[in-house]
Amino acid sequence: MLESEYQEQNRFFLNMGPQHPSTHGVLLIVLEMNGEYVLDPQPVLGFIHRMHEKMGESRPCPGFMPNTGRMDYVCALPYNHGYVSLIERKAGIEVPERAEYIRVITSELNRIASHLLWLGAYLLDLGAFTPILYGFDDREHILDILESVTGSRLTYSYYRFGGVCQDIDEKFVERTRAFIKRLRKRYGIYEKLVTKNIIFIKRTENIGIVSPDMALRYGMTGPNLRGSGISYDIRKNEPYSVYPEFDFEVPVGRQGDCLDRYMVRVREIEQCLRIIEQALDRLPEGPIRSKVPKNIKLSPGDCNFAVEAARGELSYYLIGDGTSTPYRLKVRVPSYSNLSCLPELGRGILLPDLVSILGSFDLVIPEIDR
Amino acid sequence: MDNIIKNFKGFLIDQGFDAVETDYEQRGYHLEVVLTVTQVREFAKKAYELGFYLVFVAGFQVLADPETPSPHSGLAVVYQYARHDRQYRIKACALVPDSLEIPSISDIYQGADWHERETRDFYGIVFSGHHNLKPLLMADMDVDVHPLLKEEAKLKSLDAVSWPSEAPESTE
Amino acid sequence: MGEENKGSSIAPELDAYTEFLKSESCRPLIGDAGEYGEGPLLRIKLTDIILKLCQANSLWPMTFGIACCAIEMMGTGMARFDISRYGSEVFRPSPRQSDLMIVAGTVNKKLAPVLLTLYEQMPSPKWVIAMGNCAISGGPFKVEDNYNVIEGVDKLIPVDVYVPGCPPRPEGLIEGILKVQEKITGTRHPLPQNRHPKSPLRKVKGLRVK
Ligand code: SF4
Repeated sequence: MLESEYQEQNRFFLNMGPQHPSTHGVLLIVLEMNGEYVLDPQPVLGFIHRMHEKMGESRPCPGFMPNTGRMDYVCALPYNHGYVSLIERKAGIEVPERAEYIRVITSELNRIASHLLWLGAYLLDLGAFTPILYGFDDREHILDILESVTGSRLTYSYYRFGGVCQDIDEKFVERTRAFIKRLRKRYGIYEKLVTKNIIFIKRTENIGIVSPDMALRYGMTGPNLRGSGISYDIRKNEPYSVYPEFDFEVPVGRQGDCLDRYMVRVREIEQCLRIIEQALDRLPEGPIRSKVPKNIKLSPGDCNFAVEAARGELSYYLIGDGTSTPYRLKVRVPSYSNLSCLPELGRGILLPDLVSILGSFDLVIPEIDR
Repeated sequence: MDNIIKNFKGFLIDQGFDAVETDYEQRGYHLEVVLTVTQVREFAKKAYELGFYLVFVAGFQVLADPETPSPHSGLAVVYQYARHDRQYRIKACALVPDSLEIPSISDIYQGADWHERETRDFYGIVFSGHHNLKPLLMADMDVDVHPLLKEEAKLKSLDAVSWPSEAPESTE
Repeated sequence: MGEENKGSSIAPELDAYTEFLKSESCRPLIGDAGEYGEGPLLRIKLTDIILKLCQANSLWPMTFGIACCAIEMMGTGMARFDISRYGSEVFRPSPRQSDLMIVAGTVNKKLAPVLLTLYEQMPSPKWVIAMGNCAISGGPFKVEDNYNVIEGVDKLIPVDVYVPGCPPRPEGLIEGILKVQEKITGTRHPLPQNRHPKSPLRKVKGLRVK
């Protein structure tokens, strides 16, 4: 009795965010605390809600392209990919093979860039400052390569309906190959610096365990789901583009703690490199854009397209009404479902562990809020 | 694994669900189900039992049609389910009655919690039984603003936005 | 403030002293009072200059990334672009320890009160950079049926420097910071940076050639 009274008195609320370095953006989490223990973390979203869905419905479909690059800006090309593929499926547009290869190469490069950024930022949350410098160093190389074909560093709108905007040249291939070699060499550094670091392991192992059932109930996808041991990757399970032609593995974790999610991402970088290598080897000649009617008509009816973004399953759902403007455009973003398990996962843990869990989810807040 | 799909389809037929197989290449999902308001929870329960996960819940608005046998408010909710172990996607759609109320599935799939709150934000659909139906993406002062509702002039009828012929999306 | 104090004349000696300071004989020490307008009572030009130099060369930005532009802001702080060459690498998570707010991203209805609170919590003197089109004017989100995005942070807080781009390149942000320095001191590249020889590399190269 006395103890419960004592606990009642010690209960207090703590606002984490919206301006907090380890929420990776403007996310507010209202924590009900008891001393150092979190009783109930409740995320509050909407601080960066930018009406993407409304904008998708209010102009002809090519006008939504720039928005796709701004939802998840860390890994924008898969978002481009999903959207162009959706319209291509809806309007029945063929894509030349070379264009599909270019899409895969650039998307995978972007995925690596995203994972490198996450690696740095996660370790920054855990108190290690050095890895982010290494991560950004490698990332800048990717950005240079991508900039040479897409023309921007971050918010790409590179793909077009029926192809891509610009062809890649010998130089691009050469630089990409050089980069692959370089990143393979850098593995050792990350391994020594991070993966075998005892402090890092202590802060991630057995923390924030997501069971497979929990992942199912919350609809988690991407590396967060694979960390729990379920091998689910849209590139394999629901193949799109030319992914079935490549030989790559889907790394999975054992028990779904923060360390597993970390390991899955790090091993995924290697698989991305493998895909890029194979694609560069087999890169076919040919046109990069097919003939597309100027005014794309979206026939009545709905249509769905799912791709694997860096954080999980990204699904575009479109309802057409016979005009070129989508009647309804829903974007299912991975981080939204991934974060929604936090109230259950974060009950009764220590506050520093919450930071560790949040970091391991690889959140991008503007993607969640759309 | 095919057993699961068969099992599921058998269940759908037994319980009198209105389900149609669709062309994946064309639409991006394999099965289309039209639910009535009472079937929403039943369907979700079965899907959870068989290991489907919830992809998203979303709303959309069409022109309300008073002619149909069971009048609806013009709002509809789309549920999408998929599987981890094989390629199978289901789209389920339910028209919201005039009371704007539809049962919540957030106790079956906890992930639906935020999706439903978001749908309430955008369309004002009330998910009865939801434990915490507060604004999620919109600011607190905008409780009654539903930005994705369209103007009357821009609304299309349900038939005008569904696939022709083989998808009879009436509300029977 | 000085003007009002004179009217109340609580301290006649102080008034006399102010008059003395404003007189022609103190001009070299204090500078042109009209140039500053209202402000602190005592203004010593040299101290002022030194203070401003220090402020300009150690701008501490607040860690306040909102959206896409924040990634470029992070990139500016990292190895390649290295913002610490201009003394602004100390990103402070707390507004109370920072004097530069880089608004890097879109501000919407829900975030606006937060932004105001943060701005008010920063101690004076403080400066604001609006980074990216969103912060300048709403950028890509300035559309007809805009229901949520605030079209420009200058509707909420005073902005000193605007850096356009979607997102601006890190070089752009560095230029923005140089502009803030210019605004504080009146010269581009205030003192300590000027003192570096124009290109130290030239000498090194010369050595190698010999
Ligand atoms: S200006 Fe462009 S890059 Fe910057 S926050 Fe706005 S949309 Fe993102």
